[in-house]
Amino acid sequence: MNRRWLNSGLVVIGATLIASSALAQSVDTARIESAGQNDWLTYHGSYKSYHYSPLAQINASNVGNLSVAWMHIPGRSTRGLQSMPLVADGVLYYTGSYSRVFALNGATGEVIWSHFPELDEVLIARQTHSPYNRGAALGEGKVFVGTMDGRLLGLDMKSGKVLWETRLIDSQKLTVGFTGAPLYAKGTVIIGAQGGEWPGRGPIFAVDATTGKKKWEFLTVAGTDEAMKTWGSDSWRTGGGGGWMPGTYDSETNTILWGTANPAPLYDWSGADYKTQGARPGDNLYTSSVIGLDIDTGKLKFYHQELPHDAWDFDSAVGEFVMLERDGQKFVVHPNKGGFVFVYDRNLAVKNVWRLVENINFVKDIDPKTGALIGRRDFSAGKVTEPPLCPFIGGGVSWNAGSYNPKTGLYYKIGQEWCMTLDVQKTTPVTAPQVQLNIGADFKMAPPPGGEIYGHLDARDPITGAKKWEVRYPEPPLGSVLSTAGNLVFVPDSRGILHAYDAETGTELWNHNNGTGHQGGIVSYSINGKQYIAVAAGFGGMLADEYAPNFGGVYKSMPRDDGALVVFSLK
Amino acid sequence: MLQDIALQDIVLQDIALQDIALQDMELDTLKLHLKKFTALLSAALGASSLCAAPVQAQSATPAPDNGTFDVEQLFAGTCGFCHSDGGRAAGKGPQLMNSPRDDDFLHIRIKNGKSGAMPAFGGAFTDAQIDQIIKYIRALKPREG
Repeated sequence: MNRRWLNSGLVVIGATLIASSALAQSVDTARIESAGQNDWLTYHGSYKSYHYSPLAQINASNVGNLSVAWMHIPGRSTRGLQSMPLVADGVLYYTGSYSRVFALNGATGEVIWSHFPELDEVLIARQTHSPYNRGAALGEGKVFVGTMDGRLLGLDMKSGKVLWETRLIDSQKLTVGFTGAPLYAKGTVIIGAQGGEWPGRGPIFAVDATTGKKKWEFLTVAGTDEAMKTWGSDSWRTGGGGGWMPGTYDSETNTILWGTANPAPLYDWSGADYKTQGARPGDNLYTSSVIGLDIDTGKLKFYHQELPHDAWDFDSAVGEFVMLERDGQKFVVHPNKGGFVFVYDRNLAVKNVWRLVENINFVKDIDPKTGALIGRRDFSAGKVTEPPLCPFIGGGVSWNAGSYNPKTGLYYKIGQEWCMTLDVQKTTPVTAPQVQLNIGADFKMAPPPGGEIYGHLDARDPITGAKKWEVRYPEPPLGSVLSTAGNLVFVPDSRGILHAYDAETGTELWNHNNGTGHQGGIVSYSINGKQYIAVAAGFGGMLADEYAPNFGGVYKSMPRDDGALVVFSLK
Repeated sequence: MLQDIALQDIVLQDIALQDIALQDMELDTLKLHLKKFTALLSAALGASSLCAAPVQAQSATPAPDNGTFDVEQLFAGTCGFCHSDGGRAAGKGPQLMNSPRDDDFLHIRIKNGKSGAMPAFGGAFTDAQIDQIIKYIRALKPREG
């Protein structure tokens, strides 16, 4: 009897060992590309950037039984919890403010390891867009994370031990660092620095994943001779740009696709003659653009500047490059902060442009065939009130991601309806980091002409923009969207409610109050046959901080220095 | 200048430390590296103590003195990003027009900031410049029309 028990026990132990060694395979490019259903291996879910889970255990018929499985409190969540969790082989990795990294048992929440990088607190205190962190990358047995003081770290995936660290930018001088998640592909870690409002040249870096050595650097401000000519009066020195959200990798063309931020100052007093007048005469390449870089060399292969001479801060920094195929054609879908969605081929040639957002008046339109801006609204110094500029500086879309569901063929994306009044100022050029930002105007949030501020989740055809359904929210949701093969769409909203909708109809099937607003990621994964949904809760930061004074209500008492990772499964 | 040199040294050491991590950890080389590491560590500690003292002075280039110090432009460039409409309305930060806070409070808040809410500008502005900012705040009136 005992002997039989012992034998069967040995068999079980043996099986467990085999299973765990099979599970502990390395995360590499091929594995991220194939995006196995149990994992979430890269910021956008896979290189296709679908933010979609093929898991269907939690589905439209049983989602009513969804409840909290476990929670994790990262602590010191200054400006909320903004990160996208990652999951590999049953372990969940996520980051909090101050670039804190946690590795947790994905089934129980038990902490396996944590790493709190030592940061210069005096530097952090001087920074404006700090100290939140939006995620990590996995590859070759390591977890990669950027820090607010300009470093990229390679941590041992099993222990959290620092295997290498590389200083990429002089944050003491520039005051900027890294808040966005890196991207791992083909032995390389790519990360873009903060940019836009600062006098820098917005570098995007590639680092060798094994050694931590820098491979190349691409300057999004005047990074080529051609681009240098698009910054009149030496205005490249006032800079901007950067690529602070992770883009993606196209293995077929060996290309990194990345979105870039705006030039500085955000608002220009040039008037209509922006090619020769104003703070930064010319198109200001490669700001507010989507760019394709050779992953091995960092050489620019192709680009499209979504907003030539962006005078509104409606940049292209959103990191989604949704890769689709339809009727034998390959497309890349990229939302622009101004509220338009651009559809490209794989070489970033424009195939279509459609409107996600109703209230847009910085241009009359964008030519869907060429991407050319029609009826630009270029300001001179002075007030902009009639009508106010739409959208608001927070954008028609925020930096968080939508979701494409290959089963429904629909793209689920949050749109934001709000505007702003402005007083554009003729400022003196800022060429060295002085007081920090370089905005170029006083501004204030305003309702759309003849309407109210609101947000909406749209279910649309990603190529044509045809709308199937829409759900509205009194204040724009700021978190990422997840859709699943269980015919579900999850939206974590700003008030703190996590909603689940029928992916075909938009009917709300379930919701849960997480107790604080959302502005981070949401993913799904599976361990030992059980499906989980993990969402980052925790409000605060550049856009969230506008909610209390403008909307009052629950935002008045909502903490902006707190957060939790909340994980759900079926009862 | 001294600080720049010290920072560079630290960067160099980072590279050296990386190199160590990459080496095969054979016993002989390990001993050698341990010696090297101890030497580097003491150098690094020396460098960081050099950095530690003038930490405030390491901040970004100070704003130019009075003559060209234009607070209205400063609001359009930086402060107004959070204090909406040039300080006349609440945004990410509070409304500054008609602020109930006294001058000392404003001075200290501008200088030291508030964790997770407002950056510290003590390295960017002199006390005299902070006083000019307060003067601008006190003079704020609603926009006409």
